[in-house]
Amino acid sequence: MQKKFTRIAVATAIVGALFATSVVAPASAATGIKTGLRIAVIPKQVNSGYFEAWNKGAQKACKELQAKCDFIGGTKATGAVQVQFINKAIQKKYDAIIVAAADQNAIVPSLKKAQKAGIIVITSDADVAAASASARTVTIAPSEASRIGTAEVDWAAEAAGKKGTVAILSAAATAANQKVWIVARGPYLTMTYPDMKWVGGSLDKAIFYGDDDTTKSTAQFNAILSQYPDVAAIIAPTTVGVLAAAAEKKKKNLSVKVTGLRLPSQMAPYIEDGTVEKVGLWNPIDLGYVAVYAAGHAKAKTFTGKTGSSFKAGTKTYKVVAGGIAYLGDPFTFTKSNIATFEKVY
Amino acid sequence: MTSLIQKALRIRELPIFLFLVLVALITGVANPAFFTVAGLQDVLLGVSIVAVLAIAQTLVIVMKHIDLSVGSTIGFTAYVMGAAGSWGHSVWWGLAVSLGIGIAVGAINGFLVAYMKLPSLVVTLATLYLVKGIFNEIAGGDTITGDRVPEAVNAIGANYFFGVPYIYIIVFVLMLVVGFIMKRMRAARDLYAIGSNLSASELAGIPVARRVFLAFVATGAITGLAGVLLLARYNTADANSGVGIELYAIAACVIGGVAIAGGIGTVYGAMIGAVLLQTITSALGALGIPQFWQLAVNGTLLIAAISLDRYLSSRVKPTSIMGSHE
Amino acid sequence: MRKFNFAWEHGVAVFLVVAIALGSGLSEFFATTDNLSFIIQDVAEIAIIALAMTYLIIAGEIDLSVASTLNLSSAAVGFSFRNGMPFEMAILVGLLVGLACGLLNGYLVTVVGLPSLAVTIGTLALFRGFAWVLLGNEPVNELPENWIVLGYENIPNTFLPWSTIPVVILALLAWVILHYTRIGRWTYAIGINAEAAKFSGIPVARMKLALFGVTGLMSGVAGVVYTLRFASASPDGAVGYELDVIAAVLFGGVAIAGGLGTLWGVLAAVLSLGVIRSAMQLLDFTGNALLIVSGALLLISVVLPRAIELVKDRRKSVTV
Repeated sequence: MQKKFTRIAVATAIVGALFATSVVAPASAATGIKTGLRIAVIPKQVNSGYFEAWNKGAQKACKELQAKCDFIGGTKATGAVQVQFINKAIQKKYDAIIVAAADQNAIVPSLKKAQKAGIIVITSDADVAAASASARTVTIAPSEASRIGTAEVDWAAEAAGKKGTVAILSAAATAANQKVWIVARGPYLTMTYPDMKWVGGSLDKAIFYGDDDTTKSTAQFNAILSQYPDVAAIIAPTTVGVLAAAAEKKKKNLSVKVTGLRLPSQMAPYIEDGTVEKVGLWNPIDLGYVAVYAAGHAKAKTFTGKTGSSFKAGTKTYKVVAGGIAYLGDPFTFTKSNIATFEKVY
Repeated sequence: MTSLIQKALRIRELPIFLFLVLVALITGVANPAFFTVAGLQDVLLGVSIVAVLAIAQTLVIVMKHIDLSVGSTIGFTAYVMGAAGSWGHSVWWGLAVSLGIGIAVGAINGFLVAYMKLPSLVVTLATLYLVKGIFNEIAGGDTITGDRVPEAVNAIGANYFFGVPYIYIIVFVLMLVVGFIMKRMRAARDLYAIGSNLSASELAGIPVARRVFLAFVATGAITGLAGVLLLARYNTADANSGVGIELYAIAACVIGGVAIAGGIGTVYGAMIGAVLLQTITSALGALGIPQFWQLAVNGTLLIAAISLDRYLSSRVKPTSIMGSHE
Repeated sequence: MRKFNFAWEHGVAVFLVVAIALGSGLSEFFATTDNLSFIIQDVAEIAIIALAMTYLIIAGEIDLSVASTLNLSSAAVGFSFRNGMPFEMAILVGLLVGLACGLLNGYLVTVVGLPSLAVTIGTLALFRGFAWVLLGNEPVNELPENWIVLGYENIPNTFLPWSTIPVVILALLAWVILHYTRIGRWTYAIGINAEAAKFSGIPVARMKLALFGVTGLMSGVAGVVYTLRFASASPDGAVGYELDVIAAVLFGGVAIAGGLGTLWGVLAAVLSLGVIRSAMQLLDFTGNALLIVSGALLLISVVLPRAIELVKDRRKSVTV
């Protein structure tokens, strides 16, 4: 009698223990990621429509994972300000930090500190310098950088009828992603479209920096036109720049073609009235969403971020390529035909 | 004849006007596109915002004060004007609220400086932060795009009257009005007296506190309305609009002969200063000066302009473009 | 019984204590050595520049170009190192650049006779422009590891970051000189009445030139600290720092009109602002809230003493 009792007791205990552990640290059966994770989501700056969309994606993923995601950041997009928030995340002992680097170098020491404290670091949208890739587990990038650069050249060429000269209205001269895109565009233009050239004859002369500032971008747009009055197309791969260029073009009724990167919701009016034929963008919502999953998997130690490793976010699997980068896919193009649908999304 | 020339040479704004002509000529020679109608229109369009703020700033600088809060105020009212439509209000509502915000900020600044006798640098630095904080809370990540800009504002921004941009005409008229008031109205002339010699002004029976207060309110009102011009010019506004522009307005004033020490200078000088600043910026673009050198060149020219003005004005007894204001 | 004259500096000291108490009470993460370390790192550059700015404002001048000088010094360090100079030499170059910037300001103010507010707006653009010329769009980010460690690590076995050392040494020096030496007295005298000071034999122009030079040098020191902290030199760093420095100095009780203020008031103010920012961030306040609080504090710092004065005056005239 006693033996039977003990066996039942033990069995109950084992079942109870299993039950208890599954209640204490339930793992979502599908993903294997713990619930209750605390993740700090740090944009380049708050007060930005683009990063609010980014956060939307992050929050969606957090809901699915039953994690707590805090959107924190400063009102100035500088490294010095961002470091304060990274430090705060370290102090508050978050499980993971997802950051869109405001400065590819300045935040590296703090990120390394975070890693030392056991926090998973993921960069999304904007990465740290290549030399400091070890400061983060993986970076979630929109599309292969070169693809973005060349896609824009395609849009510009199509709009300009594959003939004429092209100029670039860029953001900050120090922005890492801008530099990569520029490098990709240079040879691509002349190779793919033999009837097109960069203004001034070389890529270097064709780049104008608008610093993501409306006033400067407008001034540079006008500078392009004053130096090269017959420029056929201007590529503005910056959300502020392309808006400024489109507004200026419309105001002055110019014929130069404008294209670039912008949230469809904010570009819609200019596409609908024909000022701009095509713009594109990846989906920042996805950037946020995928980053959270990467963090979750890394925390659960099912994802290492090494080249060749992969993880699942939602229904898609993402693979890491050389440099510790996971790409989302090709950018979307927005034209008159599809802008109506997209502007409601982001 | 010689006395006319002598009189002309004594005009305080002359050296800086000549400097402006010089810069314009050099640029025009190097890049003829600069002297086209489009090129000149560009300069005028670019000038307008800084010019209107410089005109407003003149009111306080001649009193030996300063108003750093204008950057936040103008950004705020530009955004409000653009957002009015989406909030379900009319253009008139937007205009009234913009004016109201400008007056409110001006009144706060004015009260603290005039009646509580606090230093304007500190007060307006504080209101710069405060207004920006409130503005950012309200605007968040929202960006006003072309379609939300009221039709009337759009029209101002996009149209020309005999080739001159409407925006600039508005600012030019403002300059004439304020300039006239400052020369003719006793109450406005008092501002110069206050800047030159505060105690003498008090002894002479000038209601100093009231004048200072109203001057700040006027500056605020002009700045508030200037937000409409900002929106008209760029067809966009967001939480970052207007950031840092106060330094340009002050620089324009100083270059134009509105001395920081107070008591001297006119809105005409402020306008010339603003045009010079804009001309330098456009010139750098038109001359194809490598981008990484532009800021350094800008700074050098600024200092050169201030030094030149100071050098020349120390050699002759300064009168201003509309007569002596000593 | 000696009356305790309640000066603004005392208010700031009290404010600092209250802020720390509130912070500790409201957030469990506040009163940790980690946090103290972060706060010190955060305010180090501003503190260093504020030391010199205090002298300058007491003497009746101002320098808006300090942030650009900091950045140019940082750029100079990066540029020199990138072009093969040993890092120690590069640091020296950075300091010299800072000094040169300060002396240029001083020259333009004392010799050419330009108003410091106007001039330093010009040099603000000029110095930043030079940083762009030096570095172009390639920030320098490969700095020697053993130096970078000084930027964001703590002194071994303590919770104090390495940057505490220059801050403390310079603060002590600045404090002693301002309050206990002839140079300090001259500074006040010049601020109260430059004409009278000149007539009583004080070399006003030379003093001002020196003060601007020192301000530039301190900005250079801050630039080196900044470079090490962020392990990089970039042409667009430290934008807007000048307003933070000036706000801290003003909040510390230094009168913008000159002639009044204490160094420990400024230090208390710098620390307070750092403490408040840290507490607010830990309590999840947004960046906007911080802006509003900074503005409000600045206002209070001038309104309160004035209000007290007005009340005292009113009371005096009534009891007569």
